[in-house]
Amino acid sequence: MLLASREIRRAPVRFGLLAGAVGLLIFLVFFQQTLLSSLLNSFTGALQNQSGTVLVYSSEARNNLEASVLSPDIVDKVAAVPGVGQAGPLGAATMTVLAQGQQIDVAVIGAEPGKPGQPTQLISGRPATAPGEGVASSETKSFAIGDAVTTAAGGSPVTIVGLTAQSQFNVQPSLFVTFDTFTALRKAANPDATMVLPSAVAVIPAPGVSPKALADSIDAAVPQLAALTRSEAVAGAPGVSSTQGSFALLLTLAVVVVALVTGFFFLILTVQKTAALTLLRAVGAPASYLVRGLIQQVVLVLGVALLVAVGLLLTAAAAVNTGLPLTIDPRALVVSTVVVVVLSLLGVAFSVWRVLRIDPFQAVGRPGLGGIE
Amino acid sequence: MKLALLELRRRPWRFAPAVIALVLLTGLLLTLGGLLDGLYNGFTGALRAQPGALLTYASDANLSVVRSRIDAATIAQVERVPGVEQVGGLGTVLLGAEVPGQATEASVALFGYQRAPGGVPAPPEHAGQVYADTSLKAYGVKEGNTLLLGPQRYPVSVVGWVSDTDFLLQGGLWGTVETWREVLGSARPDQVLASGTFQVLTVSTTAGADPARVAAAIDAATGGKTQTVTRSFAVDSLPGITQQRSTFNAIIDTTFFVAALVVALFFVLLTIERVGIYAVFKAIGASSGQLFAQVVLQAVVIAVVSFMVGALLALAVGSLIPPQVPLQFSASRALQVAVGLVVMSTLGSAVSLRRVVRIDPATAIS
Repeated sequence: MLLASREIRRAPVRFGLLAGAVGLLIFLVFFQQTLLSSLLNSFTGALQNQSGTVLVYSSEARNNLEASVLSPDIVDKVAAVPGVGQAGPLGAATMTVLAQGQQIDVAVIGAEPGKPGQPTQLISGRPATAPGEGVASSETKSFAIGDAVTTAAGGSPVTIVGLTAQSQFNVQPSLFVTFDTFTALRKAANPDATMVLPSAVAVIPAPGVSPKALADSIDAAVPQLAALTRSEAVAGAPGVSSTQGSFALLLTLAVVVVALVTGFFFLILTVQKTAALTLLRAVGAPASYLVRGLIQQVVLVLGVALLVAVGLLLTAAAAVNTGLPLTIDPRALVVSTVVVVVLSLLGVAFSVWRVLRIDPFQAVGRPGLGGIE
Repeated sequence: MKLALLELRRRPWRFAPAVIALVLLTGLLLTLGGLLDGLYNGFTGALRAQPGALLTYASDANLSVVRSRIDAATIAQVERVPGVEQVGGLGTVLLGAEVPGQATEASVALFGYQRAPGGVPAPPEHAGQVYADTSLKAYGVKEGNTLLLGPQRYPVSVVGWVSDTDFLLQGGLWGTVETWREVLGSARPDQVLASGTFQVLTVSTTAGADPARVAAAIDAATGGKTQTVTRSFAVDSLPGITQQRSTFNAIIDTTFFVAALVVALFFVLLTIERVGIYAVFKAIGASSGQLFAQVVLQAVVIAVVSFMVGALLALAVGSLIPPQVPLQFSASRALQVAVGLVVMSTLGSAVSLRRVVRIDPATAIS
């Protein structure tokens, strides 16, 4: 053990470089993980953080809120299903609006005041309760309380009365308004529109009814609908599973690379030290002692690498402008750390096997070690 | 040189770790590249196929096809701009489509068009007839099928096939302007457009005219009501296209770097193990250059073999992936991966150069 730590002290550059390189790779894993959770939040934050725990779409919408269109009588049919506590129409559409003199695309979400579909992460101001009022997501800093927003095509302004957190939708800022305001904005954006229909019905179950059971009841009671619990709607939203799949591939690649780099490095080190290790075995050092030393070095290198990675992550989260609000998810980082450490230890298994395979007798058979062949 | 190849033939298992890693990386590179190409083509096909060098949007639409509206008066203004040869209206609506005999709905983008895009025939003779993109075959669509579109289940019949005309990953359906307007009215009443109003205009310029100048002239003539851009700019402005491409390219570049790292570490290890024998070679007259050339040759052979096996692996993965996933393998992408892999393997093996040069022939007799 003493020998292992002394070797690190004597060769700080070699081990420092490895710890730095592995630290960079682990940072890559951590950063991708953070990017993933932030991206998913930007895709579906507005769905996740609205008050309806069941969302009812048109079945042909394929879980896409903006592609869903329902006839107005559907809201009443859903409200009549046993187990429904509250139900209200929910409108959703991307519109180009003028905010602070800039043309930006915004996901406008309309719900009736006091009905399901209200933003739940209000961080300042108050909910929109009257026509012409809106609550905007705060992440992009495109809106401030008191701002007046119009569609790029004109129409009546919407005054921002509140700001929410974690409420973006389709990686765009969102604007929560009353359903009447939503209708007015749609008509302002397209004066030819004959009718503005709800995209979905937002539902809160009656006390004692689970969202899943209620979703099943709605599907059974009203045809041509797809009722989803809030978490199902979030997981099934367009782009979510493909983003998760792409990042899973990336994360797997990065973790395998960490294990490969660590494994190859310690293998090279073991091969280089074979003569010295053989001598140690010949003078009585048990194989377990050498293996423990190797593992100790791996753990130390990984420990320093993790510190480097966390430091870099905190710096990057504060300094890098990805266009997304980055939120570090500690639970995901712990899982990644465990996976990286376990795979890296597996990566050095071949080095351990080589150490165990060392035959002390070779010390007397090698001229380089003073033996006679 | 002969020795390097002989070693590869006699002791192939020695190179197995590097080959296995490179095969996996090749499979990953080809799959990622195929996904990138498939996603790009699936997102942009309809716009890339449009005739004319320019596309005109409403200036308040932020280059979104579905949010753009250009009325008949504005279209007339565009037609009168010097340098404009031909103008055609285009409109689309994104919908779910019920396919006969299939449980899963197909995602479609129904287009109404005045000027035929590349590879698409002139609009069908009758309303309710459409040409379908071949990508919809993955959803079970067949020629002669009647598809039911949108919540009102508007029926359209498939009268022929077109290819590479998808839009935003939705299968392209190409029908008359009347069909598009009727479906829009039935499925998306809040997106209905007045007669004569289109979402986007395709604009061809006269021979010798500078498209950029014509675009500026169009926007000036309409008093800023329009935003006219080149077709390639319109394609790159589709939501997520540039981010998608840069993300995938970053992953692909990282994977190439990893391949170089794997080869470098492997050959460093191999060189350390061979120090003794290399010293003997040097003692009997072999130069560092000759020895290093052997290392590079082995790295190149490993890369080529790994690419071939990896390509088979990617094809196997591709055959397991559902046909709805936009995965497209192409010869140009395969060539790019093959060349990249050989270059990165050569660079990776070059890391051993210093160790080979430093070998002292005298150690052969020590």
